[in-house]
Amino acid sequence: MTSFREEVRAWLAEHLVGEFAPLVGTGGPGREHEHVELRTAWEQELGRGGWIGLGWPREAGGRGASIEDQVVFHEEYATAGGPARIGHIGEQLVAPTLIAFGTQEQQERFLPGIKAGTELWCQGYSEPDAGSDLAAVRTRGVLREDGWHVTGQKVWTSLAHLADWCFVIARTNDAPRHRGLSFFLVPMEQPGIEVRPIVQLTGTSEFNEVFFEDALASSMVGGEGDGWRVAMGLLAFERGVSTLGQQVAFNREYDEILALARANGSFGRLADELIEAWAGLQQLRHQALRTLSSDASASTGVEANINKLLWAPWHQKLGELAMKVTGPAGLLVGPDGLSPLQNLFLFTRSDTIYGGSNEIQRNVIAERHWKLPRDSYS
Amino acid sequence: MSDLDDLRAAVRGFLEKQAPLGTADPQVWNRLVDELGLVALAQEEQPLPLVCGVLEETGRVLLQAPYLPTVVAALGVGDLVSGKVALALDGDLSQVAHARDADALLVADGDDLLVVKDFTATPVEVLDATRPRASVRLGPGRSIGSPDHTRDLEWLALAAESVGAAQRLLEMTVEHLLTREQFGRPLGSFQALRHRVADLTVLLEGATSSVWCAARSEQLPVDAPLALALASDAFVEIAGAAIQLHGGIGFTWEHDVHLFFKRAWTTALLHDSRALRRLAFERSGR
Repeated sequence: MTSFREEVRAWLAEHLVGEFAPLVGTGGPGREHEHVELRTAWEQELGRGGWIGLGWPREAGGRGASIEDQVVFHEEYATAGGPARIGHIGEQLVAPTLIAFGTQEQQERFLPGIKAGTELWCQGYSEPDAGSDLAAVRTRGVLREDGWHVTGQKVWTSLAHLADWCFVIARTNDAPRHRGLSFFLVPMEQPGIEVRPIVQLTGTSEFNEVFFEDALASSMVGGEGDGWRVAMGLLAFERGVSTLGQQVAFNREYDEILALARANGSFGRLADELIEAWAGLQQLRHQALRTLSSDASASTGVEANINKLLWAPWHQKLGELAMKVTGPAGLLVGPDGLSPLQNLFLFTRSDTIYGGSNEIQRNVIAERHWKLPRDSYS
Repeated sequence: MSDLDDLRAAVRGFLEKQAPLGTADPQVWNRLVDELGLVALAQEEQPLPLVCGVLEETGRVLLQAPYLPTVVAALGVGDLVSGKVALALDGDLSQVAHARDADALLVADGDDLLVVKDFTATPVEVLDATRPRASVRLGPGRSIGSPDHTRDLEWLALAAESVGAAQRLLEMTVEHLLTREQFGRPLGSFQALRHRVADLTVLLEGATSSVWCAARSEQLPVDAPLALALASDAFVEIAGAAIQLHGGIGFTWEHDVHLFFKRAWTTALLHDSRALRRLAFERSGR
């Protein structure tokens, strides 16, 4: 009998070749602009292989794979150099949300498109005046005869220019803050939506601003005014199964920096920092293995927040270390734009901001794990 | 609940009652060995997760009894020694923990591990009063092989004890922040302090995970020194911060915080974390 790991490995060896060969090692944070069309085709190839929705329950059309098998998939995928997924928002955020909070009809409408890789999603959460303070969103949903219409501006929406659908948090009544919000599913292909790329400090673009002007939503998940509960449920679906895959990429980056340090003679000068970075990398793996185990001592309820505060600053520091290893040569920009290490250096400034800034993660740990009282905000 | 969770709960219940922080009851040792069978855990098929779980508990009360060196010896050299054991695996004989009451010493002499039963131990006064130490003069010993594996086990044991102690200390600190009020509200409502606690939590959880994995590792020579480096650094950081977060009361003799602070620095000074990290890195072959 073939093990699951062998099955994954064999499929990738057979499919991540030929027309898809250029995708090896591409995409991901800071590099989402790479090979966009081919990665979209790859998403569908994954769908045909049955690799999307591994962890969804069987009733929802998934494979009901165990946490262990999902980890194996992510590890093998990353080891093979599989490109960053362009459908991960649909697979890992939208689908679990629909399975938990959506109607049968919504599940039947949207899950197959995600599973086949034919419908891509983006996330409409942050706004210019609602970043860390997400409950301050001002985008409004208004009910008319033909359904709910959405008007407002979202920001930091990755992949919006490619997405077929957007899930949007919008205000639907005047109840204070998070009580007046609803969770909408909005088709991107309509006249009331405009997508404008944001040029980041890397000089490249992968995030967008999205303007909604009376855009028609297809449906709402949960009830009217129930949006905050749905949105918070969604954030909890990141169980950390992909973190081991993420670490395969981190290992590759670290090895490149270490090899460069040995080649250019900077290892001696930077040995302590390089070894500390290695130790941090081991610790990221240890943290993932312990939190994915059933060990009771690891159940802090804030594992995801702790993981983020472990990996994001570590990765940012790795980017700085890459520059120290490179030395002044790292200041020169070649004809093809930023080198991977320059990109690592610059893009990792965002690691500690997106997906909940370090400061927000600290608040959550203090409040949820230690029950320390909230400050005067809220 | 797993066996490990059950074991830890039983040990915690016993220690909180019979060996609370800062006490030294000589009867406790016999009960740990005879009633709870904690040294015999070394004979289990997969002993390290269990022993490390127990050591996290003994760390929580800064246990004075010589459980750590004795169980390390049982794990490392089996029944080549018996009774209470003290360890001198770094060659320093000037302040050997638990040497005075030990029945045998395990001493590293270059690439040899010696069992020494004939020795004199003269108590020395040390900053960390929760772990008695003595200077040792060795008589003749018997070589029983390489000290490397036993030393790895000692490092892992110290790492487990350190994260247990740091966990208890962080809990005490949060308790203080929840109850102590200034400016008309609990200290724990001030974001500067809440963020400090969150950062210490991340440090501790990371170190605890490294200890957890080292106890289940197939490459102990890499993971044990790494675990001690991370755990010891975390304990030192948390211990210093704990005094600060307690404020004036944390600077007093009567409060227990300083006991943790002195234990943390004792481990750190006897086992340089920078050297341990480098050793782990070199052993990894990276």
